[in-house]
Amino acid sequence: MKQAEKYLWIGCTAARSNLAYAGEVIYRSTFIAVILYIFMRLWTVVYAGAGSQRIGGLTRPQMLWYLVITEAILMSTPRVAAEVDDDVRTGRLAVHLIRPLSYVCGHLSRAMGDRVVRFGINLAVGAVIAFILVGPIPMSLPGLAMFLAVLPAAFLLDFLGMFLIGLCAFWLESTSGLVLIYSRAVMMFGGMFLPLEIYPAAMQPALRVLPFASMVSAPGRMFVNPSFRHFGEAIVIQGCAVVVFAIVVAMVQSIALKRLFANGG
Amino acid sequence: MWRSVLDYLHLAVAYMRINIRAQLEYRGAFFSQIAAMFINDGVWVVFWMFFFTRFPVLHGWNLKDVLSLWAITTAGYGLAYGVMGNAHRRLAPAIVQGELDLWLLHPRAVLPHLLLGSTIPSAWGDALFGYVVYLGFIRPDAARAMMFVALSVVVAVVFVGLGVMTGSLSFYVGNASTLSDQWRDTSITFATYPPTLFEGKVKLLLFTLIPAGFISYLPVEALRSLSIANLFVAFTGALAVLAAGVAMFYHGLRRYESGNLISING
Amino acid sequence: MSRGVEIRELMKNFVLTRWSGLRRRVSDVVAVDGISLSVPPGQSVAFIGPNGAGKSTTIKMLTGILHPTSGEVSVLGFIPWRDRRRLAHQIGAVFGQRSQLWYHLPPGDTFDLLSRIYSLKREEFVRTRNVLIERFNLGSFMNTPVRKLSLGQRMRAEVAASLLHRPKVLFLDEPTIGLDVIARQELRNLICEWNRNDGTTIFLTSHDAGDIEHVAERVIVINHGQVVVDDNVAAVRRKYLGAKILRVQFHEVPRPVLLPGVTVLCSSEYEWKLQIDTAITPVRRVTSAVLDAGSVADIAVEDPPLEEVIARIYCESRREVPS
Repeated sequence: MKQAEKYLWIGCTAARSNLAYAGEVIYRSTFIAVILYIFMRLWTVVYAGAGSQRIGGLTRPQMLWYLVITEAILMSTPRVAAEVDDDVRTGRLAVHLIRPLSYVCGHLSRAMGDRVVRFGINLAVGAVIAFILVGPIPMSLPGLAMFLAVLPAAFLLDFLGMFLIGLCAFWLESTSGLVLIYSRAVMMFGGMFLPLEIYPAAMQPALRVLPFASMVSAPGRMFVNPSFRHFGEAIVIQGCAVVVFAIVVAMVQSIALKRLFANGG
Repeated sequence: MWRSVLDYLHLAVAYMRINIRAQLEYRGAFFSQIAAMFINDGVWVVFWMFFFTRFPVLHGWNLKDVLSLWAITTAGYGLAYGVMGNAHRRLAPAIVQGELDLWLLHPRAVLPHLLLGSTIPSAWGDALFGYVVYLGFIRPDAARAMMFVALSVVVAVVFVGLGVMTGSLSFYVGNASTLSDQWRDTSITFATYPPTLFEGKVKLLLFTLIPAGFISYLPVEALRSLSIANLFVAFTGALAVLAAGVAMFYHGLRRYESGNLISING
Repeated sequence: MSRGVEIRELMKNFVLTRWSGLRRRVSDVVAVDGISLSVPPGQSVAFIGPNGAGKSTTIKMLTGILHPTSGEVSVLGFIPWRDRRRLAHQIGAVFGQRSQLWYHLPPGDTFDLLSRIYSLKREEFVRTRNVLIERFNLGSFMNTPVRKLSLGQRMRAEVAASLLHRPKVLFLDEPTIGLDVIARQELRNLICEWNRNDGTTIFLTSHDAGDIEHVAERVIVINHGQVVVDDNVAAVRRKYLGAKILRVQFHEVPRPVLLPGVTVLCSSEYEWKLQIDTAITPVRRVTSAVLDAGSVADIAVEDPPLEEVIARIYCESRREVPS
């Protein structure tokens, strides 16, 4: 129990420090207003042109609220890869390893603390704007529960992906290129602007298997159009993805640490 | 008059050479920044490709039109901030940190000289992207290609004007860096979406306070219609944005030179 | 058309806006309070004063960066804020704390850029550049990136860069800051030489008394926006810079030292801090007396801080002026 308390404390500290900058975060997140307005216009034109109430199973308001969720998720990404990269390059990693705290879990707690606060703020701002632009969407308690249930694994998956990239600092001169490619892949294959159902049919099977959908599209869908079937699917895929990522991270980390202890940092 | 224009062109060339040379001292970082921006822009092209596969027409615009929009915007952006890097984000800090004094000691008109002082490495990625997309995807004929080149210069003028306008805020509002950035980023974001999406008051806004209209709408119209008249209109619009920026700057400079910019937070 | 610097009744007020939370307080600050000076061409002037005294404000008005509230300024026959660009062709500036050399490139690249900025004719530029490279001894590192140069090398290159367009007036702001003793002396000699051989008027701002003594012929002290001392270096040295501070640490309790012109500023069992009036007793005599007083662990002779000297000057000058 004691260990868990430690991690919880780290998370809360990170959260609190983010709240201190809440003012600035809100100011920057007003940029969400620009994106939401533009996409509201985009979907208005598309729906008028398509002449139907639903596209990909979603109504126009649902489409915009989907964007609120995905934007909130993507704009709350913590700088895990850069921090791990920094730890490796400056040798701070060695310092972390002699502490009675798991390196991964320490970073995880901090990242979650950061993320939860920023996600919350982005969500609040986005919700207000979406409410003004298109009004509310039908929601239900079970639906909300499903949404909240899908979030932790989504955040965890993203964390593991970024952590892995940060570890690549052991072998690469710079990980910033990888970080960029990863973030764009998440945007593109996670369905940031367009729900994945709208993507070309040929890509659907691949998209469903890739972990990016679980990070972005799954929570988005659960919020605007929850269904038990999709929820079940999402949880299963997220579960498998987490297991796979966790194994890969553990493997890579042990290889990296062997390298660290062999070369002395 | 011509002698001095030529003189400033020589100066611009000299700054271009020294800026690029300074970047090439760290060519790894330079080229990777170019590549990163190329990928970044590419993601948007992929997005629109997916979009137009599903919804072939958007109020009269198709994939080719949007790609042209992106091409002209990125090409102009790259040209503007590749050559006049200090118009990007450096103007506000330069004013606030007193860097202007150093530029005022030189026998040159402050603004053009100051703007040439640095280059934004990733902007070259944007410029490359714009040209590659237009020449590679759109495959224009000779006339369109020439129009594109001319228009990329027009768009560059707008971007420089925008940078000067947003940066000059710092003459009036203390450290306005964040506000300047938001203003500029909002303008650029609007400029990358088809203008047919917006109407009425918003469209008016896009031709005044948020000059997205001058950044891409007028130039894309000129490109689509291949008309010299529209080219002229786009050029005039660009000059208007530049004039607004320059006016704001020199008005603010007068305040700066009277030394009444000091403001302390107690 | 005068070829020097003429200042008449120069005044500069600032409107200072202070924000505390949401409340705004506006006050009038007088930075320059009626300065009148005349500097003939080719003179080397040290322009000193404590921080906030109005020195940089005055210099900004001389270079055209700032407009005065009232008064007249003529630099080389130009009104600085009206003919800023034409004047800029004739003046140069060196800032000890701000470099104009491009950091990642060799000095030669910056020199080429400057030739373009100042629209210098190619042959003239090459000739001047070669003279400067020789006189300032830059040949060995003209192709080395500035970031790899020592501070001494960098400052020599900075001063040379400021002279490429053969300015008639050179403004130097803390040019020797951070330099070691040898580099400092080298730089001072170069500046002096250029002043003597080329007739360049020098305006030096420095907190280093050594700079002032070696480079300037005339010292102007500014305080509270006014000129409080305007005299040649020898006179100022005699009257105000004649003091030295001697700090000494002993291994054992020392025998007392009594010499005329030596005041004990503070002392403890093993340490002394003495002030020496060099007009009365040379430093040499005091040092040997101290070394004889006991086994010395550490000894140092310094100039009193310029701020102190200026404060003293200001107090004395206030007393001298009939109210």
